[in-house]
Amino acid sequence: MIFNEIFGAWIAVFFTLAIFSFLYKDNPFYKIAEHTFIGVSAGYWLSIGFWTIIQPNLLGRLWPSEGYSESSLWYNIYNIFNTLVPSIFPDGGIDKGHSMDLTYLIPFVLGMMMILSIFKRFSWMARWGIAYTVAIAAGLRAYGYLNSYILNQIKATIVPLANTGYPIFHISEPSLLNNLIILIGTITGLLYFFFSKEQTGNFGKLTRVGIYFLMISFGASFGFAVMGRISLLIGRFVDLITYSKAEHHHATLWILVIMVIILAYSAFMDSKKPKNDNI
Amino acid sequence: MNNISNFILKFTQVDRRWIFLIIGLSVLLPLFFPIGLPIRATATTQKVYDTFESLEPNSKVLLSCEYGPSTKPEIHPMVVALLHQLFREDHKVYVTCLWPDGQFMAAEALNEVAGLYNKVYGNDYVILGYKPGNEAVIKGMVRDLRAIFSTDVKNTKVDEIPMMEGVYKFEDFDFLFSASAGFPGSIEWMQYATDNTNVKMSTGTTSIMVNDIMPFVVSDQIQGILAGMPGAAEYEKLVGKPGIGTSGMDAQSLAHLVIVFFIIFGNIGYFIERNKTKKY
Amino acid sequence: MIWKRQVPIFIVIFFGFLTLFGWFTDQSDIKDFVDIHGLQWYSIISTFAMFLGIITLVKLQVLKILKKQNGWQYSIVAVSGLFLSIIAGFVFKGNPDVEWGAHVIEEGTLFKWIFDFIFTPLSATMFALLAFFVASASYRAFRIRNFEATLLLISGMIIMIGRVPLGSAISSWFVLYILVLILGIVVNSIFKNKQYTAIFVAFGVIGVTVLGSSMGWPLDKPGIFYLPTLQEWIYRYPNVAGARSISIGIGLGIFATSIRYILGLEKSYIGE
Repeated sequence: MIFNEIFGAWIAVFFTLAIFSFLYKDNPFYKIAEHTFIGVSAGYWLSIGFWTIIQPNLLGRLWPSEGYSESSLWYNIYNIFNTLVPSIFPDGGIDKGHSMDLTYLIPFVLGMMMILSIFKRFSWMARWGIAYTVAIAAGLRAYGYLNSYILNQIKATIVPLANTGYPIFHISEPSLLNNLIILIGTITGLLYFFFSKEQTGNFGKLTRVGIYFLMISFGASFGFAVMGRISLLIGRFVDLITYSKAEHHHATLWILVIMVIILAYSAFMDSKKPKNDNI
Repeated sequence: MNNISNFILKFTQVDRRWIFLIIGLSVLLPLFFPIGLPIRATATTQKVYDTFESLEPNSKVLLSCEYGPSTKPEIHPMVVALLHQLFREDHKVYVTCLWPDGQFMAAEALNEVAGLYNKVYGNDYVILGYKPGNEAVIKGMVRDLRAIFSTDVKNTKVDEIPMMEGVYKFEDFDFLFSASAGFPGSIEWMQYATDNTNVKMSTGTTSIMVNDIMPFVVSDQIQGILAGMPGAAEYEKLVGKPGIGTSGMDAQSLAHLVIVFFIIFGNIGYFIERNKTKKY
Repeated sequence: MIWKRQVPIFIVIFFGFLTLFGWFTDQSDIKDFVDIHGLQWYSIISTFAMFLGIITLVKLQVLKILKKQNGWQYSIVAVSGLFLSIIAGFVFKGNPDVEWGAHVIEEGTLFKWIFDFIFTPLSATMFALLAFFVASASYRAFRIRNFEATLLLISGMIIMIGRVPLGSAISSWFVLYILVLILGIVVNSIFKNKQYTAIFVAFGVIGVTVLGSSMGWPLDKPGIFYLPTLQEWIYRYPNVAGARSISIGIGLGIFATSIRYILGLEKSYIGE
């Protein structure tokens, strides 16, 4: 196995066990891992965001290779950038399959205004960019949620209750009782969220039924949440077991032993420190 | 009886690190000493399997990978099992990714499976790759797929790939499977693609997302769902290719049993304490 | 001032209506903008917003170091991690055969190495850590204080056990025996009479045993007490009813809020 992979395995094991060490107590290993995660993930998303969105979709439309011209003032500006940062601005324009579209100066300006808002005096500048994103999200989601979450779900709730040929009850197939449960559960659950009317009397009884259905749903969500977390834990343990093998020089075992010794020593030293008595 | 009650009460006050240790052991030990519990497919998993079995031969299946290494234990096994089924039935597989990591995951799964069925890149499967933009990519594909994907992941022009013949927009596919760990994922595919076209879809998701998607499964907006690692194990069983999903099930079972035991034990302690305070 | 208030409101109303209208028209210029370019602008501006967040993070960490606030040494670790990622992302590819741009998703680069051996273990383990806390919290806090909590607990436990292979291995007769014991506890708490409880439990156990023997002790019958079948029923019917009411509620809320934004009634994005 090549050095990169072995070294990488040791790093991965260190960070995995450092995070798990929090289960014992908050300690420097965990804090180092946590702060590394903060820094590395910020840098990761910065790089991904830049190289997959800004460079190809924005810069690639402002200075595409398709329309490159040495004599053009616009591309002379590009050439200056090319001299400074050739990795981002390669020779001859950016070839991502786009043609020039100067309307993309609008999101560029809105984006720069957003960055400038870091200065207090220009904090209002972020509003334009935020307003645009709010507008697009609102327009997209109004239709999407209306169609998928409301209309189709209501259609699915209108279930047959008579003259269907279904049995009265079947535990795994459609049945009249199952359809009734869906109908009553959905309606009473929705009624529970109607807060404009006080939930007392007969209305209160209906919303009570709704709460019962919601509690069953939350219980199921809890069960699935536990299942998901345990699955991820299994995944981590499988990786740790893989890295404990000879081809990775028993990384897991070595790092585990060293960490346990250091944490045990630290706990021993802490126990020897005099406790402050409050008089 | 008093001694038992006191013991139970004492146990409910135990340092939580002992609980962590027990949970850790309940997951770790079955990985070293498998029990081999039988796996039984649930109705929603069976529905996904039956839906793919009922596809016409040589169907065009769009496989969208929206997961990364952190959710790989749950979703990757189901993608591998699905690829076994698709290649066995000689369907054409088109892979897209709405997450950057999805591309690595898809490539890894295809490397593992495609060769076993002598499938050829470009004729039997193609990786169109990752495109940023979330819903924009989906909406763009519904409108004009080649405007979004002018080349595949190997930078070959899409016009030059044999299996891309006749594929110009989302509706030219016969089915969609979304292997999804969050946003963007199955729900966005449903909202912006399948609910507005005649193409049907199934999905495999992390366990946490299952309950959010279940209403759409029951309303037939989504044809069945593979629910987390248990769903992956069930699908491996149906396809006849046990893998990572199956090997994790013993650990999953034991951990769940331990947690349920903790909950019951904690409540027994709660009732004992409540009865004691009532007496006074 | 007009550019601090009126212009953002106008932007929301104009582009909101345009995007919404784009669902209902076939006019190619509008469709082009709404389906492709408008959404590209959206992802570009969102990326700049992310950059702003990262700049703010760096500013806070650097100030912490300069002012030597509590835990400032760890802020050095955070800033170092950020610089390492930036070097891998913008300065040093590590693989000369891969082009800039492709290096963030291709194998063999320093960026991919950081992703595989630093970012992935850290993010995966952070999530996995929650497994322990879920277990601990369930043990310490999950109490049957009322009927609703009981429903939540029972539903959760049935799903947890019924959904995994262990649930398939538990016979429905075992569940019936447990049910008899639980009902015995309920009888005892109502009547507070040991004789009644003993008789009830005895009859219950005998009844289950006779029924089981006559049916030949099938593992999965009666179906309603077989955990995988029971969890499937709970999962498909009462659970979906509750989840659907939540989904419809979410849909109504998002639709209403979106319309409020588009009409200019909701102005929280400018702090009003």
